[in-house]
Amino acid sequence: MKQTLNVLAMTLFTALPAFAGETTGLTDDTIKIGVMAPFSGNAASYSKAEVGMMAYYDKINEEGGVHGRKLVAIQEDTACDPAKGLAGVKKLIFQDEVFMLHGNSCSGVALAIRPVVEEAGLPWMIAHAASDSISNPRAPNIFHGLPTGSANGRAMAQFVLSRPDTKRVAIIEHSNDWAHSYSDPARAYLKENGVDPVADLVMERGQTDATAQILKIREAKPDFIIASLYEAETAIFLRDLKKYGMSDIPVMGTAGTDLENTLKRVGDLDTVKNYFVIHSYIDSLGGDKLKPWGDMIKKYNPDEELSTFSFASIGSAIAVVNALEAAGPDLTRSNFIAELEKINNLDTGILSDPITFTHDDHQGVKGSAVAGFVDGQPTVLRSWGERY
Amino acid sequence: MMPTSAQLRFRTILFWLVPALMLAVPMVVNPYVLFIINGILIFVLITLGFNFVIGNLGQLAFANTAFFGIGAYSSAIATTSLGLPWIATIPLAGLAGALGGFLASAAALRGIRLYYLAIITLAFGELMRWIYVHAKSITGGTDGLSMPRETLLGFSLTDDRVKFYIFLVLTVVLVKATLNLLRSHIGRSIMAVRENEVATASLGIPTSRIIVIAFMWSGFVVGCAGSLFALHTAYVFPESFGMLQLIVSFAMVIVGGLGSVLGSILGAVVLTALPEYLRSFPGMEELFFGLIVIAVLLLLPQGLASLLRRLSPIFIERYYRE
Amino acid sequence: MLLQLTISGLSQGAIYALVALSLTVVYRSTTIVNFGHGDFVMAGAFVSYVLTVMLGVAFLPAAVLAVIAMFLLGLCFSRGLIRPIRGGPHIGYALMCIAVGYVLRGIARIVWGREVLPMPSVFDMPPVFIGNLVITGDAMFIIGTTTVLLAIFFAILALTDIGKMVQAVYQSQRGAQLIGINVDRFNDMAWGVGAAMGAMGGILIAPVSLLHPDLGASFLIKGFAAMTLGGFGSLHGAVIGALLLGVSEQYAGAYINSALIDITAYLIIVFVLLVRPHGLFGHKTVVKV
Repeated sequence: MKQTLNVLAMTLFTALPAFAGETTGLTDDTIKIGVMAPFSGNAASYSKAEVGMMAYYDKINEEGGVHGRKLVAIQEDTACDPAKGLAGVKKLIFQDEVFMLHGNSCSGVALAIRPVVEEAGLPWMIAHAASDSISNPRAPNIFHGLPTGSANGRAMAQFVLSRPDTKRVAIIEHSNDWAHSYSDPARAYLKENGVDPVADLVMERGQTDATAQILKIREAKPDFIIASLYEAETAIFLRDLKKYGMSDIPVMGTAGTDLENTLKRVGDLDTVKNYFVIHSYIDSLGGDKLKPWGDMIKKYNPDEELSTFSFASIGSAIAVVNALEAAGPDLTRSNFIAELEKINNLDTGILSDPITFTHDDHQGVKGSAVAGFVDGQPTVLRSWGERY
Repeated sequence: MMPTSAQLRFRTILFWLVPALMLAVPMVVNPYVLFIINGILIFVLITLGFNFVIGNLGQLAFANTAFFGIGAYSSAIATTSLGLPWIATIPLAGLAGALGGFLASAAALRGIRLYYLAIITLAFGELMRWIYVHAKSITGGTDGLSMPRETLLGFSLTDDRVKFYIFLVLTVVLVKATLNLLRSHIGRSIMAVRENEVATASLGIPTSRIIVIAFMWSGFVVGCAGSLFALHTAYVFPESFGMLQLIVSFAMVIVGGLGSVLGSILGAVVLTALPEYLRSFPGMEELFFGLIVIAVLLLLPQGLASLLRRLSPIFIERYYRE
Repeated sequence: MLLQLTISGLSQGAIYALVALSLTVVYRSTTIVNFGHGDFVMAGAFVSYVLTVMLGVAFLPAAVLAVIAMFLLGLCFSRGLIRPIRGGPHIGYALMCIAVGYVLRGIARIVWGREVLPMPSVFDMPPVFIGNLVITGDAMFIIGTTTVLLAIFFAILALTDIGKMVQAVYQSQRGAQLIGINVDRFNDMAWGVGAAMGAMGGILIAPVSLLHPDLGASFLIKGFAAMTLGGFGSLHGAVIGALLLGVSEQYAGAYINSALIDITAYLIIVFVLLVRPHGLFGHKTVVKV
């Protein structure tokens, strides 16, 4: 019985169309790249992250492409919803037949589509979603081109502990996968260094008041606060912290916020002067070294309001283009993957830390700088008091 | 105008012909389209169960998202923690959904009706979601649960084609069962309760029991759908069972046709396929969705099923109130 | 600490009160619960944002204009979309409200979807310190404004002819019709007033919360919880329920666990409906079977 069924299964289901083709998505003058992002829904602000890399494609195309091939981005919406993301990735793989995938914000979506991408075998460079489990355990074709959650979380905790005499750390976070992807590794690093959080608090999305949390923090008397909160809630939290006269306590935030926009939202420097964020770039948002990249984005997307999100995916795009160049004119998926794995200590000129892929480790960026206000100016820092 | 007996026979043939023809679907579409079709089958079940309570029983209960989540999580927990094969968790998920239905009916029986019922069931759904997030040790918290890779009789359960056949069989079975239930003594009582609960009780029909049965059947069907969803996305995640899910399935019921099984199917098909078709206009879904629903409410208050009824009497469902 | 939590709870509760009251105004006249009300609240805040930030109108006139705009929107909604589906199943209304809410949110998303907008603070007052107690400018502004608005509302209801008319319609729509009140027009007005009051809530909270298209979603549930607690359909019940909700959220967050703030509203809904379905001030409606 089982045998018959097996035979039946074989005959019915082996006639798979040749999707896993080595050169699928390539023509003589184009490379089709599937770009997934939450273009709609309540996480739509994340899709800013994919703007940077598409602008970089435009720049490469304008300079003649890669070995005469233009990079063609095919965008798919995920709405930050796993089911929708799955539909999108299947569309890209089986209907649009792209050569590779690049992008994806929202770790939940990335985790849901990982098995599909792994099975289909096409290269996927993750440009924004940070959860470690997307690329660890390693899949042969999945690469992480930005600091992962654990790299960021570690960097946050490292910075917190780099301040002399930090003993008491409080944590406030959303209860969602995004917030945990920062706070869990930060907690782990603190624990390794013998620091247990003195307060573990939750502030949900959409809350417009943080009084209850702040009073608890006041009781816990922390030296440093780790805040794994989205933009709107970060501003509310900092504002309330100031209101209750506690703005002297430094606050460490995630890469989901930046200094410039947080300042714009809370309105005065005094409220944010002790706010620090994960900042994976060599310069601050308005700084000279980031300016050429900002100009590039503006050139192709004149209406784009620049935030640190806008730059998140450029580093990975540089890695992709480097590997495409190295793979030569006879591009295939496997020689592209092989070239990615040869990328060693690549200074992208935008990310604070270099990109290195090896055959066994596809998490390319191992650390991140931090940004904070120094003399009222957003400044990139290596550790407490040390400029980048 | 009621259908003639010849038309009725044709209707029976049509009922079986459609799924029979659908057997060929996996051979002709690509995996992406097949994934969408699988999603439609799941939504057919959700809408079917939801419509049973709001259309046939006439109670404004919004607990279907809760049933759906309960079903999906039951299935995922039973496979990941207890190591059961997925296929064995379908009835489990159905029963868990039915238990949710029982709880919702308890509220209805306590005299909580109309908007009160709507709001308490809404709260029930959101509380369940809170539990998914915070009961980390069983539900995986915000990271969700990943379904293990499995085979069934040698067929890989990650293959959308295999999923399609399982989903199709289950959908046909549950649609047929719902139709039979509606035609039975119980079904007639359910609709009698909708029309006039007091009068129904005065005929000696145990209205409380009827309400409990209707809610539990609704919970069972939607719970099964949850189990299918767990396999469909292979990943169960709290955010999938929020307000959006509720509103989408609510719209499916109304757009398809309140109280009509055919309407449940049409609503699920149209409102899943259309947004997918509109993918190329990202950010516009909410607007389109709102406008479509408004248009249907204004122009086709009986839903899409009423269009078909006008076309031919074979689409008349006798338990539907015109 | 208790006093501090109470003050911030009251300031939150004041916003909930406006939302709950506006829901109740519509519900009492039309027996429709506006499931899209959260988006009306959001829309009010956005209109005032456009006027103040983009067109440079001063806050007060901008707020008044936004409230008028939302009043008109509510009126049009009632005339154009609610009246035509009268006579259909009751849940058609619920879906119509949701759909219109979606359209409003969709528009906001298309225009501002990828940004979180800061709303300039209205009165940048320094907080007042009384011993350990901090009373923030925002809290004073919100509580003060809401108190005035509510006083006006209840005064109109209690002292004027309009108030008497409202009482008459609430007592019996048919009775009111018999004495010459145009109930249809009255209902349109109720929708307008409901939308306008919801918008006030949005305008007050926007400087505190920042603006985004999903701003309103959480307020709907808070409004429901407040109505349920105060007694569905009771005007003063909605206000008192809202204040109690605001305060209990803060207490639950500070004394039990901050993860509870978000579900306090749901717990209140379930608890009240199971224990005392008519709430604190509602009338017990008995359907004898």
